[in-house]
Amino acid sequence: MKHERSTSTATLSQDEVVTEKSWNVVVWDDPVTPMPVVALIFRKIFGYSNNKATQLMMTVHHQGRAIVWSGVRERAEGYCIKLQANGLLSTVEQDS
Amino acid sequence: MARSKVFIQRKDGRIELRIAPAAREFLKSVVDQLITAENDSEHPWHGSLHAPITPSADNDDPLRSFERQKMTATSAELMRLTLDESFLSQDEAFAWLASMQLGLRARTTEAAIFTVEDLNQADDTSLQTIRALQFFLFELATTLS
Repeated sequence: MKHERSTSTATLSQDEVVTEKSWNVVVWDDPVTPMPVVALIFRKIFGYSNNKATQLMMTVHHQGRAIVWSGVRERAEGYCIKLQANGLLSTVEQDS
Repeated sequence: MARSKVFIQRKDGRIELRIAPAAREFLKSVVDQLITAENDSEHPWHGSLHAPITPSADNDDPLRSFERQKMTATSAELMRLTLDESFLSQDEAFAWLASMQLGLRARTTEAAIFTVEDLNQADDTSLQTIRALQFFLFELATTLS
Protein backbone atom coordinates (compact mmCIF):
# COMPACT_ATOMS: atom_id res chain seq x y z
CA MET A 1 0.00 0.00 0.00
CA LYS A 2 2.75 2.36 0.95
CA HIS A 3 4.58 1.52 -2.24
CA GLU A 4 1.46 2.24 -4.38
CA ARG A 5 1.00 5.64 -2.75
CA SER A 6 4.53 6.73 -3.46
CA THR A 7 4.22 5.57 -7.09
CA SER A 8 1.08 7.62 -7.44
CA THR A 9 2.80 10.58 -6.00
CA ALA A 10 5.65 10.09 -8.41
CA THR A 11 3.22 9.89 -11.32
CA LEU A 12 1.48 13.02 -10.15
CA SER A 13 4.71 14.90 -9.80
CA GLN A 14 5.68 13.94 -13.35
CA ASP A 15 2.57 15.72 -14.63
CA GLU A 16 3.04 18.68 -12.38
CA VAL A 17 4.42 21.81 -14.03
CA VAL A 18 5.96 24.28 -11.66
CA THR A 19 6.53 27.74 -13.04
CA GLU A 20 8.10 30.41 -10.92
CA LYS A 21 6.88 33.96 -11.40
CA SER A 22 9.48 36.15 -13.01
CA TRP A 23 11.53 38.73 -11.15
CA ASN A 24 11.44 42.39 -12.14
CA VAL A 25 14.25 44.91 -11.99
CA VAL A 26 12.67 48.21 -10.97
CA VAL A 27 14.28 51.64 -11.33
CA TRP A 28 12.87 54.43 -9.15
CA ASP A 29 12.75 58.14 -9.88
CA ASP A 30 14.89 60.61 -7.98
CA PRO A 31 14.87 64.41 -8.21
CA VAL A 32 18.51 64.97 -9.15
CA THR A 33 19.81 62.51 -11.78
CA PRO A 34 20.06 64.15 -15.23
CA MET A 35 17.88 62.36 -17.79
CA PRO A 36 20.67 61.61 -20.32
CA VAL A 37 22.57 59.81 -17.54
CA VAL A 38 19.66 57.41 -16.89
CA ALA A 39 19.20 56.61 -20.59
CA LEU A 40 22.94 56.10 -21.09
CA ILE A 41 23.17 53.69 -18.13
CA PHE A 42 20.22 51.65 -19.51
CA ARG A 43 21.96 51.42 -22.90
CA LYS A 44 25.25 50.40 -21.35
CA ILE A 45 23.90 47.78 -18.92
CA PHE A 46 21.12 46.20 -21.00
CA GLY A 47 22.32 47.01 -24.52
CA TYR A 48 18.99 48.70 -25.26
CA SER A 49 18.51 50.93 -28.30
CA ASN A 50 18.48 54.67 -27.76
CA ASN A 51 14.71 54.69 -28.32
CA LYS A 52 13.97 51.97 -25.77
CA ALA A 53 16.36 53.46 -23.19
CA THR A 54 14.78 56.90 -23.61
CA GLN A 55 11.26 55.46 -23.37
CA LEU A 56 12.11 53.65 -20.11
CA MET A 57 13.80 56.76 -18.73
CA MET A 58 10.64 58.78 -19.47
CA THR A 59 8.49 56.12 -17.74
CA VAL A 60 10.68 56.42 -14.63
CA HIS A 61 10.39 60.21 -14.78
CA HIS A 62 6.60 60.37 -15.26
CA GLN A 63 5.40 57.33 -13.31
CA GLY A 64 8.00 57.33 -10.54
CA ARG A 65 9.27 53.85 -11.47
CA ALA A 66 9.70 51.50 -14.40
CA ILE A 67 10.31 47.79 -14.82
CA VAL A 68 13.44 47.76 -16.93
CA TRP A 69 14.02 43.99 -17.14
CA SER A 70 12.18 40.76 -16.17
CA GLY A 71 13.38 37.19 -15.91
CA VAL A 72 15.10 34.79 -13.54
CA ARG A 73 16.08 36.01 -10.08
CA GLU A 74 19.83 35.52 -10.46
CA ARG A 75 20.04 37.75 -13.50
CA ALA A 76 17.58 40.28 -12.08
CA GLU A 77 19.78 40.72 -8.99
CA GLY A 78 22.86 40.96 -11.19
CA TYR A 79 21.32 43.78 -13.21
CA CYS A 80 20.05 45.48 -10.05
CA ILE A 81 23.49 45.69 -8.47
CA LYS A 82 24.96 47.02 -11.73
CA LEU A 83 22.34 49.78 -11.74
CA GLN A 84 23.05 50.53 -8.08
CA ALA A 85 26.81 50.58 -8.69
CA ASN A 86 26.10 53.19 -11.36
CA GLY A 87 24.19 55.30 -8.84
CA LEU A 88 20.59 54.60 -9.85
CA LEU A 89 17.85 53.71 -7.35
CA SER A 90 17.00 50.11 -8.18
CA THR A 91 15.37 47.11 -6.50
CA VAL A 92 14.27 43.58 -7.42
CA GLU A 93 10.69 42.33 -6.91
CA GLN A 94 8.79 39.22 -7.90
CA ASP A 95 5.92 39.57 -10.40
CA SER A 96 2.58 39.78 -8.57
CA MET B 1 22.00 69.19 -28.56
CA ALA B 2 24.90 71.52 -27.74
CA ARG B 3 28.35 69.95 -27.67
CA SER B 4 30.05 69.66 -24.35
CA LYS B 5 32.89 72.07 -23.68
CA VAL B 6 34.50 70.13 -20.85
CA PHE B 7 34.41 66.59 -22.29
CA ILE B 8 35.34 66.34 -25.96
CA GLN B 9 34.87 63.10 -27.93
CA ARG B 10 37.97 62.56 -30.10
CA LYS B 11 37.94 60.58 -33.35
CA ASP B 12 40.20 57.90 -31.83
CA GLY B 13 37.53 57.18 -29.19
CA ARG B 14 39.22 58.96 -26.31
CA ILE B 15 37.50 61.65 -24.25
CA GLU B 16 39.51 64.85 -23.89
CA LEU B 17 39.14 66.59 -20.53
CA ARG B 18 39.03 70.37 -20.44
CA ILE B 19 38.46 70.77 -16.75
CA ALA B 20 39.92 73.63 -14.69
CA PRO B 21 42.20 72.73 -11.76
CA ALA B 22 39.62 73.96 -9.23
CA ALA B 23 36.98 71.68 -10.75
CA ARG B 24 39.40 68.73 -10.63
CA GLU B 25 39.94 69.46 -6.93
CA PHE B 26 36.18 69.46 -6.41
CA LEU B 27 35.81 66.11 -8.20
CA LYS B 28 38.74 64.74 -6.20
CA SER B 29 36.99 65.63 -2.95
CA VAL B 30 33.84 63.81 -4.15
CA VAL B 31 35.64 60.64 -5.20
CA ASP B 32 37.79 60.62 -2.04
CA GLN B 33 34.61 60.71 0.06
CA LEU B 34 33.17 57.89 -2.02
CA ILE B 35 36.22 55.69 -1.41
CA THR B 36 36.14 56.45 2.32
CA ALA B 37 32.37 55.94 2.60
CA GLU B 38 32.48 52.53 0.92
CA ASN B 39 34.50 51.09 3.82
CA ASP B 40 33.40 53.28 6.72
CA SER B 41 29.98 52.37 8.09
CA GLU B 42 29.92 55.63 10.08
CA HIS B 43 30.33 57.80 6.98
CA PRO B 44 27.10 59.69 6.06
CA TRP B 45 27.32 58.36 2.48
CA HIS B 46 27.71 54.71 3.52
CA GLY B 47 23.97 53.93 3.68
CA SER B 48 23.37 55.25 0.19
CA LEU B 49 26.05 52.89 -1.17
CA HIS B 50 24.52 49.87 0.57
CA ALA B 51 20.85 50.12 -0.43
CA PRO B 52 18.64 46.99 -0.32
CA ILE B 53 18.61 44.83 -3.47
CA THR B 54 15.48 42.73 -2.82
CA PRO B 55 13.47 44.67 -0.20
CA SER B 56 10.99 41.79 0.29
CA ALA B 57 13.78 39.49 1.48
CA ASP B 58 14.95 39.53 5.10
CA ASN B 59 18.56 39.82 4.01
CA ASP B 60 20.29 40.34 0.71
CA ASP B 61 22.70 37.74 -0.59
CA PRO B 62 26.10 38.77 0.88
CA LEU B 63 27.84 37.75 -2.35
CA ARG B 64 25.67 40.21 -4.28
CA SER B 65 26.47 42.97 -1.79
CA PHE B 66 30.16 42.18 -2.12
CA GLU B 67 29.90 42.23 -5.92
CA ARG B 68 28.33 45.70 -5.81
CA GLN B 69 30.96 46.93 -3.36
CA LYS B 70 33.68 45.72 -5.73
CA MET B 71 32.08 47.50 -8.72
CA THR B 72 31.74 50.75 -6.77
CA ALA B 73 35.32 50.62 -5.49
CA THR B 74 36.71 49.80 -8.95
CA SER B 75 34.95 52.79 -10.55
CA ALA B 76 35.91 55.20 -7.76
CA GLU B 77 39.54 54.10 -7.72
CA LEU B 78 39.79 54.28 -11.52
CA MET B 79 38.39 57.82 -11.43
CA ARG B 80 40.80 58.76 -8.64
CA LEU B 81 43.76 57.42 -10.66
CA THR B 82 42.79 59.35 -13.79
CA LEU B 83 41.77 62.68 -12.23
CA ASP B 84 44.84 64.53 -13.52
CA GLU B 85 44.79 63.04 -17.02
CA SER B 86 44.10 65.00 -20.21
CA PHE B 87 42.37 62.08 -21.98
CA LEU B 88 40.18 59.18 -20.84
CA SER B 89 39.40 55.87 -22.50
CA GLN B 90 35.69 54.97 -22.85
CA ASP B 91 35.92 52.62 -19.84
CA GLU B 92 37.57 55.31 -17.72
CA ALA B 93 34.89 57.81 -18.80
CA PHE B 94 32.16 55.38 -17.70
CA ALA B 95 33.96 54.96 -14.36
CA TRP B 96 33.83 58.76 -13.97
CA LEU B 97 30.12 58.74 -14.83
CA ALA B 98 29.34 56.00 -12.28
CA SER B 99 31.40 57.66 -9.53
CA MET B 100 29.98 61.14 -10.06
CA GLN B 101 26.45 59.70 -10.12
CA LEU B 102 27.10 57.75 -6.90
CA GLY B 103 28.50 60.92 -5.33
CA LEU B 104 25.46 62.90 -6.45
CA ARG B 105 23.00 60.36 -5.04
CA ALA B 106 24.94 59.99 -1.79
CA ARG B 107 25.19 63.77 -1.29
CA THR B 108 21.47 64.11 -1.99
CA THR B 109 20.58 61.36 0.47
CA GLU B 110 22.87 62.93 3.09
CA ALA B 111 20.94 66.21 2.70
CA ALA B 112 17.60 64.30 2.94
CA ILE B 113 16.57 65.36 -0.56
CA PHE B 114 14.08 62.80 -1.85
CA THR B 115 11.61 64.95 -3.79
CA VAL B 116 11.60 68.03 -6.01
CA GLU B 117 10.12 69.97 -3.07
CA ASP B 118 13.05 68.89 -0.86
CA LEU B 119 15.44 70.01 -3.59
CA ASN B 120 13.78 73.42 -3.83
CA GLN B 121 14.23 73.90 -0.09
CA ALA B 122 17.80 72.60 0.11
CA ASP B 123 20.54 74.72 1.67
CA ASP B 124 23.00 76.60 -0.53
CA THR B 125 25.99 74.39 0.27
CA SER B 126 24.16 71.20 -0.73
CA LEU B 127 22.71 72.84 -3.82
CA GLN B 128 26.13 74.05 -4.95
CA THR B 129 27.56 70.52 -4.81
CA ILE B 130 24.48 68.99 -6.44
CA ARG B 131 24.38 71.51 -9.29
CA ALA B 132 28.10 71.10 -9.98
CA LEU B 133 27.82 67.29 -10.14
CA GLN B 134 24.70 67.52 -12.30
CA PHE B 135 26.60 69.78 -14.70
CA PHE B 136 29.53 67.37 -15.09
CA LEU B 137 27.20 64.35 -15.35
CA PHE B 138 25.06 65.98 -18.01
CA GLU B 139 28.10 67.03 -20.02
CA LEU B 140 29.76 63.61 -19.83
CA ALA B 141 26.54 61.68 -20.61
CA THR B 142 25.91 63.92 -23.61
CA THR B 143 29.44 63.29 -24.86
CA LEU B 144 29.20 59.50 -24.40
CA SER B 145 25.70 59.21 -25.95
